[in-house]
Amino acid sequence: MTRLAEVKAFLQSISFRELTLSIDLLASAYIGYFYLQRVFYATPEQLASSTWLSALLLQVIIYSIAIMVISYIVLAFVSDNELEQPLDVREKQINLVGYKYTAYILQAGICIAIFQYQAEAQGFGPSIEYNIPFLPLHIMVSAFLLAEVANYSAQLYKGRTGDIYE
Amino acid sequence: MSNGAISNSIRTLRFMNNEMTQKQLAEKIGVTRQTVMAIEANKYSPSLEVAFKIAHVFNLPLEDVFQYQQHE
Repeated sequence: MTRLAEVKAFLQSISFRELTLSIDLLASAYIGYFYLQRVFYATPEQLASSTWLSALLLQVIIYSIAIMVISYIVLAFVSDNELEQPLDVREKQINLVGYKYTAYILQAGICIAIFQYQAEAQGFGPSIEYNIPFLPLHIMVSAFLLAEVANYSAQLYKGRTGDIYE
Repeated sequence: MSNGAISNSIRTLRFMNNEMTQKQLAEKIGVTRQTVMAIEANKYSPSLEVAFKIAHVFNLPLEDVFQYQQHE
């Protein structure tokens, strides 16, 4: 099979759900990149400012909602009522597998944030050493964004390979 | 779950039924084409309800569509 034929076969095999998940994944990855980029390139004064942090979190929420709404409007135009169709049994199973990885990452993120908060209260840890205020909050937001990316990636991978039994 | 324990004859049966496409079968049993593809490739074992629906589409008993081989 030539490369062109392979691309054509792939495009024909892709489902509308995979397209939706791909767009969700791209949107989540962009939001994650936006947040981490802002945090990494922030000045120490910005990092210490709760006003700056609140504005950043508000921006993340607004961008998330705006990107999701725009992508679903575009998808609604290109689909034949496929957005309204309920998930079948296999897709529900794949959905659950995706949420399992989300739960792992969120649990890990919350545990790390709690340990970090305790360490900060005792006067040691990375937030003291590298002077990063609100580090537990950054850890939890990063875990949330990473969990979203992992959820969509796992669903796409499991849906494509069919390897849904674990 | 072990792979390959349940096999099926769906691909053959589709061609014997006026070369029914995966999409047509998927619409009749209320799942997506990707799910039919996964079932045909033995990558996914359908629910009992979906299995009965597939057998009903081909007007055959369940055991003529799906075969179960127990591993030693």
